[in-house]
Amino acid sequence: MLSEGEAAELLSFLQSDTRPDVKGGATEYLLGLTGTRDGCRYLRTKPDFLRALLTLTSDPSIAIVKDCYHALINLSADETLHKPLLQEAEFLPTLFRNLLDPEYPFSDRVCTILTNLSRHQPTCRQVFLSLQQQDVSLAKIVEIFCTEGANQSASLHYLGPLLSNLTQLPETRQFILDKERCVIQRLLPYTQYEASVTRRGGVIGTLRNCCFEHAYHEWLLSDAVDILPFLLLPLAGPEELSDEENEGLPVDLQYLPEDKKREEDPDIRKMLIETLLLLTATKAGRQIMKQKNVYPIMREFHKWEKEPQVISACEKLVQVLIGDEPEAGMENLMEVEIPEEVEQKLKDQDDKEKEQIEKEEQELLKEEKKKHQSESPEGLER
Amino acid sequence: MAQSDSDDGMDEFMEKFKTQKYKNALNESNWEEEFEKVPMFMKTAPEEIDPLKNPDLACIQSIIHDDDRPPEEQAKSLKDEGNEYFKEKNYKKAIVAYTEGLKKNCSDSDLNAILYTNRAAAHFYLGNMRSALNDATAARKLKSDHIKAIIRGAQCCMELHNYAEALQWCDEGLRILPTEKKLQELRAKADKQKRAAERDARKAKAKVKKERTDRDALLTAVKERGIKLMPGQRQHRSSDSEEDDGAEGSAADMAELNLDGFSTQEATGAKVYLDEQGVLHWPVLFLYPEYRQTDFISAFCENSSFIDHLTVMFGEELPPWDTDKKYCPQNLQLFIEDHEKGHIYEVDVTKSLLSVLQHTRCSVKQGTPSFIILVKDSPFCKQFLSDEKVHLLK
Repeated sequence: MLSEGEAAELLSFLQSDTRPDVKGGATEYLLGLTGTRDGCRYLRTKPDFLRALLTLTSDPSIAIVKDCYHALINLSADETLHKPLLQEAEFLPTLFRNLLDPEYPFSDRVCTILTNLSRHQPTCRQVFLSLQQQDVSLAKIVEIFCTEGANQSASLHYLGPLLSNLTQLPETRQFILDKERCVIQRLLPYTQYEASVTRRGGVIGTLRNCCFEHAYHEWLLSDAVDILPFLLLPLAGPEELSDEENEGLPVDLQYLPEDKKREEDPDIRKMLIETLLLLTATKAGRQIMKQKNVYPIMREFHKWEKEPQVISACEKLVQVLIGDEPEAGMENLMEVEIPEEVEQKLKDQDDKEKEQIEKEEQELLKEEKKKHQSESPEGLER
Repeated sequence: MAQSDSDDGMDEFMEKFKTQKYKNALNESNWEEEFEKVPMFMKTAPEEIDPLKNPDLACIQSIIHDDDRPPEEQAKSLKDEGNEYFKEKNYKKAIVAYTEGLKKNCSDSDLNAILYTNRAAAHFYLGNMRSALNDATAARKLKSDHIKAIIRGAQCCMELHNYAEALQWCDEGLRILPTEKKLQELRAKADKQKRAAERDARKAKAKVKKERTDRDALLTAVKERGIKLMPGQRQHRSSDSEEDDGAEGSAADMAELNLDGFSTQEATGAKVYLDEQGVLHWPVLFLYPEYRQTDFISAFCENSSFIDHLTVMFGEELPPWDTDKKYCPQNLQLFIEDHEKGHIYEVDVTKSLLSVLQHTRCSVKQGTPSFIILVKDSPFCKQFLSDEKVHLLK
């Protein structure tokens, strides 16, 4: 990479009082470095550069600020950079301060960096701790996320995946599932937010993670939250159902217009079904879902879906919805103890199924989804 | 000695009371009434204070509303006054008091916020939702964290069925006090009503759409068969015409037919309909001019023949107005009127309704085909037909 001398010289060009054109060139060069994996790894050992990038995000020149953020986004996309970045004491505090500023024009980039940093659990926890230290409450984040026009120049859609990442931590889930407050209810309408797949995906990821807390299932399915319609609406289509079927559905799913579109993103569709599946873990949950006539929606969905992975998930859900109740002692599917041989058999079955699905996927000649490094891959896994 | 003197004097004085009545005593018979008139002992204040009848009360009132005190104090007493009226459920008076308090324009914005909030509550209980909402809004402007005002505002929106706005008020309130139970309940209720209202709108839309589709299918069926519909008189506008705002896709003449073609004069409101097998069923009128009688068949299947119906109607029992007992099925002749030309056409009773309607000379008036029935070779029939131009319907 760079020699010691070259590095020192470059660093000198990245000071705030350097001539703008020289500064600009230097940041551009740095940005280029972050575009490659080796470049990123090199910068891992150069905390001075990281600090310089952070400082220059306050530079008067917008072009420089943009490049710096771009570089930081690239860096944060690389997991090995997380520790060095967070070691910069001012890093997270600066980001949070800017995030909460309703006039800050680069808040979206800030969100992207935070989302990247929170993807993996260890750094996620660090991000969370820093949030608390900086006195930025989760409540504040939810509030600006749910307020139209909270920031005039930024859409703040990436707060969605940030929230989703933070729900890896039980503390975040506890906050969102707080029965004494009105948090999760405010997130629900965003499962259908057409303007941004990022925001939608983030919210649904959040809901899915929260549904791992099966003690809350009954409350989630009750009128107090009423999560079910918000999970089903993106999966419901314009097909006309009989009056009888309509009347048995939750209110929001009745008499859907003929221009109703289903969720376009297959990953999101899969997440929705996974969330529904999670809700069938308890006996009470299963009863409610059967009673609320979820099956016709999934039946029509199954006819429409083309992606093998999603079809498979759908079939699993339908099986539970129309299947018999498991025997006594096995009502909570998440707490059942599986004997070893059975577990092995199930694993083999799963592997076979995975192979089959992969085959089908290749046959479909799906387009490869390109994930740019400058856009953070969604940290939606648990 | 002086002390005992005054003691004596006192005793004498007291003795007097045992024997003499004191002046201005309360009357024995109506002392309770009189008692009520003394301001100190009044249980309730009179609605209006007449200075002539109640000078003491009028005095006290003027002290309260003394203009020399600072506006903050005046406003505060007016607030208290309003609150008293409110407790008595005298909301109108409460509003007057609060309004007076606000007029003082005092500098205490907390007090003004309370005045607005309380007035909002009074309006609320009187059912003046808009005024209540305005007051709640004003209160909130003065003191943005005034929870009572926010709750009241949300309640007003609910009563006005403005659920989206109610939700906004609740969320605002919950931002300030996230654990406020009343707001959470209101929010859940507003959300539920909002979604129910949305569903109702969708349902209504679906119904209108279905009606339109059914109507279009009907018109198409009729047109396909080549059956002509006569536009009825303009006066008879059926309920269809109101909904027919630019019948999408229908040709102009179809729309025109639709306006009047299916209106019927029948009180039963029977209309032609298309069943699930694609068969039309018409309301049909049989006219018996000889006796000025009519029969109404509400659903005559287009594939049925006239003789089918006549056999049922006249086969077993003849109608009571048939005094000559001559209206047997085999004696009957059926005719339709061509209103355009003023001719009469005889109809073959063995034919189906559809085949007759399809005939070029036949047009359906006001959605109800009507047929004249006479008895073959009867005197009336001969007379009737001699007056008209008769043809045979081929």
